[in-house]
Amino acid sequence: MRVNSIEILPSLFITILILFVLEVISVSILPIFGLVNYMIPFNVLIILFLGFKIESPYLALMIVAVQYSHAIFTIEGWEMGTIAGVIICVIISYLRDLLHFSSSILTIITTQVFQFFWFIITSSLLYLKLSDFDYIIQKFWRFLPESIVLSLMAPLFFSLFDKVWRVRDEGLMGE
Amino acid sequence: MKMMLDEGSRLKTIINIVVLSAALYGVSTRNVDVRETTIFEGMLLDTLAPLQRGVSSIHQRVVSVIDHYVLNVAASKENVQLKRDIDELRNQLFSMDQTIKENERLKKLLRFGENIKRKKILAQIVGWDASSDFRVLRINKGASDGIKLQSTVVTSEGVVGYIYRMSDNFADILTILDPINRVDVLIDRTRSNGILEGFSGWRCLMKYVTRTDPVRLNDMVVTSGLGNIYPKGLKVGQVAKVERESYGITQYIEVEPSVDFSKLEEVVVLVADDDMKKRLEWKALDESEAE
Repeated sequence: MRVNSIEILPSLFITILILFVLEVISVSILPIFGLVNYMIPFNVLIILFLGFKIESPYLALMIVAVQYSHAIFTIEGWEMGTIAGVIICVIISYLRDLLHFSSSILTIITTQVFQFFWFIITSSLLYLKLSDFDYIIQKFWRFLPESIVLSLMAPLFFSLFDKVWRVRDEGLMGE
Repeated sequence: MKMMLDEGSRLKTIINIVVLSAALYGVSTRNVDVRETTIFEGMLLDTLAPLQRGVSSIHQRVVSVIDHYVLNVAASKENVQLKRDIDELRNQLFSMDQTIKENERLKKLLRFGENIKRKKILAQIVGWDASSDFRVLRINKGASDGIKLQSTVVTSEGVVGYIYRMSDNFADILTILDPINRVDVLIDRTRSNGILEGFSGWRCLMKYVTRTDPVRLNDMVVTSGLGNIYPKGLKVGQVAKVERESYGITQYIEVEPSVDFSKLEEVVVLVADDDMKKRLEWKALDESEAE
C-alpha cells in the first residue's frame, strides 16, 4: 500500500510504542519464567510487516527508526538489523506480486520464509565479524523456535499493524 | 504520473544506498569491547529501563494476588476470611523470609572480596538483553551511582562480567557467557594461562591452553588480572570437560561458571580509579612473569 509521507510519522510513532511495550515484556517477564536463552525478536516482525505492506521511498529510514528503538534493549546495535531489513525489503519489492496474505497460514509461511532470509543475512555479517562457525550453528538452533513462535504470532500482529497503518483488507499485497 | 513514480523509485534507491552504507560503516567500525552511549540513547535508556523494573514488580504482585486471593473465591465466607488471615500471615512470613534471605545474600555479597581495593556498588538485575544472541544483563545502577565503563561485576560465587554500556541510572553487563567477552584466566592448580569465551547456553570455552598442560576435570579457573578489566584471583568456574587430541597445539576445555546466571538477583560492581587499574595490571603482569 502506498503511504503518504505525512501519514508515516504518527503510524511509525505508534508502531515504535508497541515495539517498546513488547520489548519490555520480552526482556523483563520471559526471564522470570526461566526463558533466558530465547527472546522473541519483535523488531523483525515489525520490519517484515513494513516491507510486506508499506510502499514508500522512506522505508529504509523507517527500518532505521525501528532498529534504533530495538537497540535500546540490546547491545546488538541498529546496524546489522538495518542491513538485513533493507535487503529483505528490496527482495520483497521484486516478489510483491507473488506474495499473498489471504489466510493466516499464508501469512505464517511467508513470515517464516523471510525470517530465514533475515537469519542468512545477519549470520553472514556475524561470520565476517567473528569468524566463528560454531556460533552461527548455535544461533541457528535458537533461531528455529524463536522464528516459529514469531511466525505463529504474525497473523495477530499483522492485523493489529494493519489498523495502525490503515492498510486496506485487500488480501493481495502491494495494490 | 510516470515521472513521479520514477522520482519516487530514484529517491528510494538513494535512501537505501545511504542507509546501507551508514549501517555497513557502523558494523565495520564498531568497538566490541565497550559501547559509548549518545545523550539521546542515554535518555531513552533512563526512560525505558524503569518500565522494565515496573513490569517485573507488577507481574510479581499480580501472581501473588492470583495465588493468594482469586483462587479462594469459591470457598465459603468463613473459609475465605480465615484463608485471607492465613494468607496475610503467610505473606508477612514470606516477605520476612524474603527479607532475611535478601539480607543474607547482601551480607555475603558485601563480605565478598574485602581484600579487593575497589569501590563496591550493590545493584539489582532488572532485565536481560532483547536479543538471544547476546548474554547481557541490565542493572538498576548507572553513572550517577559512580559506576564506570568496563567496571568488573561479581557475586559472592564469582565473576559475572563487566559494564559494557550505561546511562545515568542503568547499566548493561556483558556477562562471561557472551562470546564477545574474553577473559584472561588461569587454571588455579597448574597456573596454565588461557582465554575464556562464552560458548553455549550456560558454559564457556577456555582457549589457547597448551596440550601438554595437565588440566583435569573440576580444576578451578580464576582470573589472571591481565586485560585491564578483572582483578587477579577472582573465581570464574570449574573445568567441566577436557578433550585432548594426540595432535595439535592446544586442548579443548569447557568451563562451568561458578555463578548460577539463572538465579541471579543482585550483583556487586567493583569500580577502580584508572590509576589503580593500571597499577593492578602491572602487578599481575609482574607476578605472572615471576611464576
